[in-house]
Amino acid sequence: MTAAITTADLTKFYGKHRGVVNLNLEIRDGEAFGLLGPNGAGKTTCIRLFLDFIHPSTGSATIFGLDSQTDSVQIKNLTGYLPGEFLTYEHMTVFDLLLYFANMRDGKLERAYELASRFDLDLTRKIGELSRGNRQKVGLVQAFMSNPRLLILDEPSTGLDPLLQQEFHKLVTEEIETGKTVFVSSHVLSEVEVICDRVGIIRDGSIITVEEVATLRERALTRVDIEFGEPVTPADFENISGTTNIEIDDYRLTCNVTGSIDPLIKKAALKTVTRIQSGQPGLEELFLAYYSENDETGGSDAP
Amino acid sequence: MRLGALMLRNVYLKTLRDSRKALFFYSLGGIAIGLYTTLFYPTIRDATGFTDFLEQLPEVLKAMIGDADTYTTAEGFLNTEVFSFMGPLVIGVFAIIAGMSAIAGEEESHTLDQLLANPISRTSLLLQKAAALLTSLTGVSAALWIGLMAGSKIAGFDLSVTGTTQAVISLYALGATLGLIALSIGAATGRKSLAGGVAATVGITGFLLDTFLSVVELLEPARFISVFYYFNSNDVIINGINLAHFFILAGISAAVLAIAAWRFERRDVSI
Repeated sequence: MTAAITTADLTKFYGKHRGVVNLNLEIRDGEAFGLLGPNGAGKTTCIRLFLDFIHPSTGSATIFGLDSQTDSVQIKNLTGYLPGEFLTYEHMTVFDLLLYFANMRDGKLERAYELASRFDLDLTRKIGELSRGNRQKVGLVQAFMSNPRLLILDEPSTGLDPLLQQEFHKLVTEEIETGKTVFVSSHVLSEVEVICDRVGIIRDGSIITVEEVATLRERALTRVDIEFGEPVTPADFENISGTTNIEIDDYRLTCNVTGSIDPLIKKAALKTVTRIQSGQPGLEELFLAYYSENDETGGSDAP
Repeated sequence: MRLGALMLRNVYLKTLRDSRKALFFYSLGGIAIGLYTTLFYPTIRDATGFTDFLEQLPEVLKAMIGDADTYTTAEGFLNTEVFSFMGPLVIGVFAIIAGMSAIAGEEESHTLDQLLANPISRTSLLLQKAAALLTSLTGVSAALWIGLMAGSKIAGFDLSVTGTTQAVISLYALGATLGLIALSIGAATGRKSLAGGVAATVGITGFLLDTFLSVVELLEPARFISVFYYFNSNDVIINGINLAHFFILAGISAAVLAIAAWRFERRDVSI
């Protein structure tokens, strides 16, 4: 089976500025893949290379076996694209825009109607009059309406409120279930966690690692903060697996937990617990987890 | 199917749809110029001593006004009044604005990305935009022609249909060249103001060069560098169209368009 997306040493420089460097990715057909990284890491560059908006400096990208540059029109026939900020003709009505874009594909609007009613989008409004969230819905409808085999979503839910985000994630999950391939970029771990099977972490234009979401979650550091009804001592919390950076201050313990939080909870339950707080593992923490590993590798190579 | 939906069938039709307001007003302008000059002509024709007056003018002014012998003929009058300045101005401005907006305009208003996310090649986009420009330019040129012919009928004088038609075609070729230069530079660079600026410079310097080089005998052979030379050095409404000149304008248009397609396919598009 051909992969959905393959990149071979894909590199893009804007003059002297780094876009992405030597990307080697393989996204399987039918997979939901997340590209996770902070702003400026090269996520959008990567997507714009896939869609042939920009051309690689060196290396190449193929999509369903088609070359991103020479077979771009065929690729776009198979692809729906939703950017983080959907920008288009402000003077057109939503309906006219969808019709115009549909005419460049199969000309069918059934699915567009369906999606518009599901996301409560008024087709008669002018795009220029819409709020950012509603504009994003138009983008969503046009990306999904032709039932594309590959969905490329660049920070897709940035403009959507939490309820819509949920509905959007549901839609994407349904698409994946019908065998579509989804490539989504995000700087929020929780978003790719919901949608994706595998995640590539990108920083400064390079892929640091590609992992299953489950593995990633295990590797992710969670900051845990526990308050007790009685004073605690460091001796009470020695040698708990996955727990590091323990700080104890009489009634309070803070630490980092990697993987399962269970051993720590079991230990803490021996005392009177008054409050537990645990932060969502953030991207920075995740990077730290991988960087520290990289550093260690670097260290062990040193003489 | 309703007309509105039909006009969204492809980039070509959608571009025409978007230019409908400009097309309407410029066509109105074309008709107005045609009517105004033709209705004014009998006054000049019947003014006594006008030819003598023209004979006494300095060479430079004669170059601008046209041949004194023919100025009082209908064709000569229109050659000066319509085809030397007003016509090229209106057609040129319309074509350059349409050309610079075509691709650079889309890019600068951030609509090009999403358009190109659809299965359409850049060359096809460029050609459809160019075709739309040529079509709307036909509309404005035809409006001018209608204004001229209708005005001559109303004012009751004979106007050469062949001469007028050929002059309008030649004017159309000038407009198309300027418009396609703007469109091409816009496609090649993505910069709207640069596209408009260069095309306007080609037009304006072309006009000035052609007028003044024709008077300075020493420089006369250099006239060929001006687009205006190929448009009307021949006084098309009087002497008929110079096909070689017409095809030179067409050739320039095709060449800049080909270079633009080559460059547009290879360059990065900005968000």
